[in-house]
Amino acid sequence: MNAKQADKTVIKVDNLRREFKVAEAKEGILGSFLNLFSRKERIVKAVDGITFDIGIGEFVGYVGENGAGKSTTIKMLTGILTPTNGSVEVAGIIPYENRIENAFNIGVVFGQRTQLWWDLPARDSFDLLRAIYRLPQERYERNFRELTEALDLSKLLTVPVRKLSLGQRMRCDLAASMLHNPKILFLDEPTIGLDLIAKDAVRKFLKFINHTRDVTIILTTHDMEDIEALCERIIIIDEGTIAYDGSTEKLKQDHIHTKILEVEFHDYNPELENLPMLEVIKSEANKKWLRYNLDGTSMHDIISTLFRDYCVKDLSIHEPKVSDVIKAIYKNGGMERASVND
Amino acid sequence: MIIASMRSRMEYKLSFIFMFFALLVFYAGQVGVVVLIVTKFHHIAGWTLGEMAFLYGLLVFSQGLTAILFYSLNDFESYMINGDFDRLLVRPLNPLGQIVSSKFEIASMAHFLIGTTALIFGAQKAGIDWTLGKVAYLPVVFIGAVLIQGGIRLAVSAVAFWTTRNSSLVHTVIYSSKEMIMYPVSIYKMWMQVFLTLVFPLAFVNFYPSHYFLNRGAGDLLFHPLIQYLTPLTGTIVFVFGYWLWNQGMVRYQSVGN
Repeated sequence: MNAKQADKTVIKVDNLRREFKVAEAKEGILGSFLNLFSRKERIVKAVDGITFDIGIGEFVGYVGENGAGKSTTIKMLTGILTPTNGSVEVAGIIPYENRIENAFNIGVVFGQRTQLWWDLPARDSFDLLRAIYRLPQERYERNFRELTEALDLSKLLTVPVRKLSLGQRMRCDLAASMLHNPKILFLDEPTIGLDLIAKDAVRKFLKFINHTRDVTIILTTHDMEDIEALCERIIIIDEGTIAYDGSTEKLKQDHIHTKILEVEFHDYNPELENLPMLEVIKSEANKKWLRYNLDGTSMHDIISTLFRDYCVKDLSIHEPKVSDVIKAIYKNGGMERASVND
Repeated sequence: MIIASMRSRMEYKLSFIFMFFALLVFYAGQVGVVVLIVTKFHHIAGWTLGEMAFLYGLLVFSQGLTAILFYSLNDFESYMINGDFDRLLVRPLNPLGQIVSSKFEIASMAHFLIGTTALIFGAQKAGIDWTLGKVAYLPVVFIGAVLIQGGIRLAVSAVAFWTTRNSSLVHTVIYSSKEMIMYPVSIYKMWMQVFLTLVFPLAFVNFYPSHYFLNRGAGDLLFHPLIQYLTPLTGTIVFVFGYWLWNQGMVRYQSVGN
């Protein structure tokens, strides 16, 4: 969508490393008593040399299993943590050195905790944020109108935040994070716990601001539907290193070698001798689920043989989901590590 | 932000009223005990009822001021445990400022009510002659006392950067410190007086400045009489130390994570 601008980098991460000292707890009651006196420390490499650039207006999915190093990276990008090694630059600023300056450029939404004042109506929180970010009244009002409309907040603004539902609160949180026109928006599990309608509202809004405001968005999530719906680019992090960095589409192409064909026949279920390249994975009444390899035969041959030789009533093709691909990448560990930077 | 936190406190009107009266009852109990002792023995370590009241007034009033400013630090460990501290770090403000202004304890108005009453009563009863110097020094003492108590709270809170939990320490330090300086420090053994002067300098909150206001001379002072005027200096030192420790903690947090 913003291909023209994507060549202007807004986030630069170079060989970033972050280690933690973790105290090893001894087991049992005696162990926890001993822990008070002596602790064995072990060094954990949460982020172990990652490098990537993100261009203006990109929408990047940052995925990984729990403990893969996702939030540690985000914390270094937002200035919460100082890296052990390597460099980070966010909109030309080193976040951990100029935390406050960086804070003006970024918006952060944590799905699990709100940035709104719990006991106050959202409207009051917005007023406070205006003061905190020193927004000129006119710009604030324009933003406020736009965001209220895009997120349909008008009825929610006067209710104390603690009385809002999770979905309503998330919508208010999103507005709050965008009030000061951040160049970059970090989202940590923004759809966690939301119902389908609320998820949809969140996704629509994110698409909208990505388009209209050219906001660069980094999305951390466990919800692969979020990724498929929103992110053109995906960075997969596994055990502190990058396992994949490239377009979501290419990820599918590179890692999806098989598709599944679901065929319904006219009141019979034939043996398919004429189609040896199809592997039957399930057969039920007059339905068959067939797996076939993309590298082998052409789709055209398979379909025409099917329709010529058999009495087909209905047919559909299932593509594996991104989540399956990612699962496969995790499973293979470093084996299939593909750095596709095109 | 302060107005916002007042508004959010007012959302819980009942809680506010309860807190206010709980404080009043608590202090009434404290005052009762002191009055009982003094009327029975006529004085404590050479301090009359009026003088005791003045001493007590200085303590409670400055405590009210401290509580208004630093009350929210009492619960600082929750920022560490829930990870809410991260939330503060992504805003373009000093995290300490955000915490301090996050909760405005209106119930601490009770402190002012009791503190003012005790001060007026004590000053009258002890017959304080309000010279210009005394009138001018009183607010300075309050500022110094707030800096001392605030600095201590800050230092104690900063411990949570290392330990994550610190509520037991907070409660021990804040609540026991009140008890320690309710009475003239001169009733304690020498080592305790030294402790409350040099290590944990609470004696500067009320005991030493009272000597000046009450014209007590140097009778029960362990140190040079100049010490009566050192509250603002001590306050500055303690607060600078507290703030330094807090900043050390912040650096550690950002380089250690949680």
